Amino acid sequence: MSLLLDVRNLTKKFGGLTAVGDVALGIEEHSISAIIGPNGAGKTTFFNLLTGIYKPDSGTMSFNGRSLVGLRPDQVNAAGMARTFQSIRLFPSMTVLENVMVGMHSRLNISLITTLLRTEAFKEQEQHVRQKASDLLRFVGLGGKGDEVSRNLPYGDQRRVEIARALASDPKLILLDEPTAGMNPQESASAMNLFSRVRDELGVTVVLIEHDMKVVMGVSEHISVLDYGQKIAEGTPAAIRANARVIEAYLGRRAAGTTENIETEEVNS
Amino acid sequence: MVTKSVSPSPWASLRNVVKQPVVAGVLLVVYLLIATFILSNLNRRDLWFPLYSTLTFPMLVLAPFLILAAPLRVQIKALLIVVVLFLIIPYLGIRDSSYLELIIQICIFAGLALGLNIVVGFAGLLDLGYIAFFAVGAYTWGMVSSQANTIFYINGWLVSGAAFYGFIFIGVGVAALVGILLGLPVLRLRGDYLAIVTLGFGEMIRVIANNLDKPINLTNGSQGLFNVGHPPVPPFLFNAVVSAQGTLGLPTDNAEPLAQQLLFYVIGIVMVAVIIVVARRLDNSPIGRAWTAIREDEVAAIAMGVPLVRMKLMAFAMGASFAGAIGVLYGAKQTFVSPESFSLIQSISILAMVIVGGIGGIRGALFGAVIVTLLNLLVLKNMSLQINALRNVDFIVPLINFHIRDWPTQLEPAKYERFIFGLLLIVMMIFRPAGLLPEPRRRMEMKAGSDDVEDSPTPAEEPAATAAQPDAGNV
Amino acid sequence: MLDARRMTGPASFRPMVEWGYRYILFPIGQMLIFVIGAALVLTLFAYLLAFLFPVPRPNIILVDQVNRQLPGMIISGITIGFVYAMIALGYTLVYGVLKFINFAHSEIFMVGSVVGFEVMRRLGDAGSLPGWNPILLIAVMVLIAMLISGLLAVLIERIAYRPLRGAPRLVPLISAIGISFFLIDFVRAFEAITRNDFNLTYPIGDVAWFQQPVEFALGVTSVRIRPTAFVVVLGAVITLIALNYFVNGTKLGRGIRAVSQDMTTAGLMGINVNRMISLTFFIGGAFGGAAGTLFGMNVGTVTPFVGFIPGIKAFTAAVLGGIGNITGALLGGLTLGMIESFLNGLLVYFPALGQRYTDVFAFSVLILILIFRPSGLLGERVDEKV
Repeated sequence: MSLLLDVRNLTKKFGGLTAVGDVALGIEEHSISAIIGPNGAGKTTFFNLLTGIYKPDSGTMSFNGRSLVGLRPDQVNAAGMARTFQSIRLFPSMTVLENVMVGMHSRLNISLITTLLRTEAFKEQEQHVRQKASDLLRFVGLGGKGDEVSRNLPYGDQRRVEIARALASDPKLILLDEPTAGMNPQESASAMNLFSRVRDELGVTVVLIEHDMKVVMGVSEHISVLDYGQKIAEGTPAAIRANARVIEAYLGRRAAGTTENIETEEVNS
Repeated sequence: MVTKSVSPSPWASLRNVVKQPVVAGVLLVVYLLIATFILSNLNRRDLWFPLYSTLTFPMLVLAPFLILAAPLRVQIKALLIVVVLFLIIPYLGIRDSSYLELIIQICIFAGLALGLNIVVGFAGLLDLGYIAFFAVGAYTWGMVSSQANTIFYINGWLVSGAAFYGFIFIGVGVAALVGILLGLPVLRLRGDYLAIVTLGFGEMIRVIANNLDKPINLTNGSQGLFNVGHPPVPPFLFNAVVSAQGTLGLPTDNAEPLAQQLLFYVIGIVMVAVIIVVARRLDNSPIGRAWTAIREDEVAAIAMGVPLVRMKLMAFAMGASFAGAIGVLYGAKQTFVSPESFSLIQSISILAMVIVGGIGGIRGALFGAVIVTLLNLLVLKNMSLQINALRNVDFIVPLINFHIRDWPTQLEPAKYERFIFGLLLIVMMIFRPAGLLPEPRRRMEMKAGSDDVEDSPTPAEEPAATAAQPDAGNV
Repeated sequence: MLDARRMTGPASFRPMVEWGYRYILFPIGQMLIFVIGAALVLTLFAYLLAFLFPVPRPNIILVDQVNRQLPGMIISGITIGFVYAMIALGYTLVYGVLKFINFAHSEIFMVGSVVGFEVMRRLGDAGSLPGWNPILLIAVMVLIAMLISGLLAVLIERIAYRPLRGAPRLVPLISAIGISFFLIDFVRAFEAITRNDFNLTYPIGDVAWFQQPVEFALGVTSVRIRPTAFVVVLGAVITLIALNYFVNGTKLGRGIRAVSQDMTTAGLMGINVNRMISLTFFIGGAFGGAAGTLFGMNVGTVTPFVGFIPGIKAFTAAVLGGIGNITGALLGGLTLGMIESFLNGLLVYFPALGQRYTDVFAFSVLILILIFRPSGLLGERVDEKV
C-alpha cells in the first residue's frame, strides 16, 4: 500500500544540537496518527520541516508522490498539507470568517485585473469563499461566530478556528500541533470527536502532536514516539503503551534503570 | 463654555439635535457658505492676510471630511462633495489661484499617501524610500518632454503635451517595474532592515538622477529638467474660465494659466478618485486579506498558503505605480523636475501623512495628506509670510516689546518642516499610534502591546531561539 | 575583544599582567590586525584594478597613481574608518540590548559635532584658544561632547522609546525617525538664534599645533598626516579600549550583557533593566558624540545635516560587522572606511563613474550584505524563520 506521506532519514541540526535525527515516518491515507514525545523531543521541528518553515539538513520527504524538500511553506500548503500551530497563530484582529477565508488563498484564482475590475468571476469567487468559510466554521462548531474578532474568542474556540482555517485549503493531510493543549476534559472530548469527523466526513488524513494521552490513545490508530530527535518507537496505541523505551523516555532513565547514559546524553545537548 | 459639569443635558440634547439629518445638512450648508464667503472676501494686501487665510482655508479643505462624517444619506453626501469640489473650489480658485495651487498639491500628496498606505498600511512594509517611485514617474515624463539639453531634446525625440495622458499609464508601468526590480531582492528582509534598505534606495535614486547627465545626458543632472511639457488646455475650459471671470467682474488677462491650473486640479481630483477606488477594491479582496494576514503574522500567513514574496511584491508594485502616476502629474504641473525634489524628507513627510491620518485606512490617509500638507504649505509658509510682512512694517509685539525685524533671518518657519514632521511622528507614536481617524483593525493591532504580533517567537519547542542568540562575545 | 571568561582585578603582579593583556594589549592588537588586514586587502584590489585597467583615461597610468596615493588613501581610510566604527558602536550597543535600530543615532552624532564646535568656538571667542595645550583642548571638547550626546541619548530613550517598548517593531522605529528630524531642526533653530548661520567652522586655525602636518618620505611619495587625523585615531583607540574594559571588565558591563541576552531573565535576576538600557544609550550616545567632535575636527565644517550620511554608513558598518557585535562594529567601520577611501581615491580615474557614486556604493554594500549575509561578517549564521 502506498503512503500519503513518506519521510526518510530526516535530519535537522541547530548548531551542535540534533533536533531531528534520521527520522523515518510513513502516514497512510485516511489514517489518524499521533506523534508523541517529551518536551524538546523534536516534534514541532518535525512539523516545521514538513511544512517548509525549516529546511532539512538531509533526508527525503515525499507527499502524495511528490518531494517536499525545498518547497516553501505556501507551496507545501498548495500541495495539500495544512497545519495548525502549537501557540495559536490566528490573525488576531481579523474576524473569524476572514481568518478562514485567508486559509483558502492557495485554492483561489488571484488576479490583479479581475480584482480591480470586479468582474463577475471575481464576485462569484468571493461569494464562494465566504460560503465555504462559513460552512467550515459550522463544521468545527463555530457557526454564527464568523463576525467576531478572532482574538476575542475563548481559547478552545481559537483552536477550532485554526483547524477550520487549515481545512480551508482542501488539504489531503492536516498537521495538528497540540490541538487540545489548554483544554478542559469536556473540550478535549469534543475536540477528539472533531478530529474523527475531519477524517470520516472530509476524508482528510490527520497527524497530530499531542501530550494528552487520553486524546492520543483515544483517537489515533498509529503512534510514533520521538525522544531527543530520534524516533524510538512506533506502532498501535496498545503496543506503544507497553513499550519499555517509551516509558523510559517519559519517566526518565533513572526510573527505567539505565543511569550510565545520562551523562553523555546531557553533554551532547 | 457650556456649564458641562452642572448639567450635561444641554450638550447631550444639542448632540441629538445635530445628529438629525435635516439639522446636520443645514448646518453643513451654512458652514460651507460661511467658509466660501470669508475666503472670497480675504484681501491679499491686508497686513494680516497670511494669518487670516491660515485660519480659514482649512475650513474649506476639511469640509469633505465633515460631510463624510455627517449623518446623511450617501447620495446627499456625494452631492455636497461634488458641490465643494466642482463649484466652490473652482469659484475660489478663479478669484485667487493660489488656493487652487494648494489644493493641487494636496491632491498630489493625497495620491502619494494612498499609495504608501498600500505598502505600509495594508501590507505592513515600512518603505522609507517611497519618493523614489514618485521620482521615477516625474522623470519619465520630464525626460521626454523637457526643453533641457538631454539626449531626447537633442535628437528631437520629445513628445507633445497631449501625450501626457498616455504617459500617466507609462508612469504607472515604469514605476511598478522599478518597484518589482527593487523589491525582488529586498522583500525577504525583516521589517526594520527593509526600512533602512528602502531608505538607501531612495537616496540612490536621487544620486543617480543627479549624475545621469554623464556619459549621456538623460536627467540633466543637478540642474534638473526645466520646461517640462504639460497637457494642452481644452478650448472649452479656457472659454469657461474667461466667461466666469467676466461674470465675476475679474480681469481676464490670466485666463490661460488659470485654465491650466484648473485642468491640473481636475486631473488631480480624478487621479485621487481612481486611486481611492483601486485601493478600496484591493483592500476588499483576497489580495487585501492576504496583506492583512502578512502584516499580522508572516509565519502563519505563509503556512496558510499565502506566497509572501509575491504578495509583498504586489503591494510594493501597486504602491509604486500610484506614485509613478502622481509623479507624471507632478512633473507636468511643476514644469521642473530636479533631484532635490525627491529627498528623504519627502518620503518622511508622506509617511507622516499616513501615520497622522490613520495607518491602514483610506480616509485616514487622505485626512493625513490634507493635514500635513496644510501644515507644511499653508501654516508654515504663511508664518514666514506673516513674519516678513510684519518685519516690513516694523511691527512690535505688544507686552513683550519684541521687534519683529529682530527675528533671525535663518529662523524662517517655512524651512522648518522637519521640526513639524518629527514632532508629529513622535507624538503620534506615543499617544495615538493608530492615527487621528483610526481604522478599527489597526487600533487593535497597535494595542497589541507586549503581545507582539509581528515578532512572536517561532513556534518551536526546539532551541531555534537559542541559535538566534548572540554568543557570549556579543552584546 | 569581548572575551570575558573570567574577571580579575589587578590585585597582584600576575593578574596585572593578565589584565593588561586582556584589556589593553589584546584590543590594540585586534585593531592593528583589522587595520592592517583591511589595508592589505584593499591595496591588493587597487593593484588588481591597475592591472586590469592600466590606462583608464588618456595620460593616466593607474599603477603610478596607486603608488603615489596609497599611503594617503590608507591613512584617510583609517581615520574615517575609526569614525564609522565609533558611530557604529552606538547602533550596535542599542541593537544588542533592545533589538531596535536607533534611527536617531546619526543625529546624536551630529549634536556631538556641533557641541565640539560650540566648545571650541566659545573658547576661541574668549580669546583663550592659543594658550591651550592642544591635547587637553581636544580632551575637553570630546568629553563635553560625550557628556551632552550621552545625556541626549538617554533623554531620547526615556521620552520616545521607553513608552513604546513592547509595541510592534515599526512603532519605535517611526518614533526614532521623528526624533531624528526633530533634532536636525532643533539644532538649526538653536544655531539660527545664536549665530544666524548653519555652517559651523571649527576655529582650528587658532591653534598653531593643528597647522603643522607631519611629513615624511616613503618610497616614491611623501606622506602628509594632518594632526587632526592623529587626533581622530588616538581618540578612537583610547575610547574603544575604555569601552572594551567597561563592557567586559566591570559589573555594570556584565549587567548590560545580561540584559542583551535576555531582558526578562536579567530583570528577574535583580538587574535594573531600565537603568541598564539607559546606560547603554548613554554609552552609545557618548561614542556618537565623541565621533562627532573628532569628525568635525577632521572635516573642519559641520552643519545640522551632517549626521545623515555618516550615520547610514556607520549603520552599514554595524551590519557589515554583524549588528549587535562590538568587535564587528570595529571591523565593519574600518573595512567600510577603507573601501570608501580607496574608492574616493581611484574612482576619479574612471570617467564614466567618478567619485559621485561613492555614497551609492556604501548603500549597495549594505543591501548586498543584508540580502546575502544578514548576520554580517562576525555575526553567527542564524536559520531564517521562514
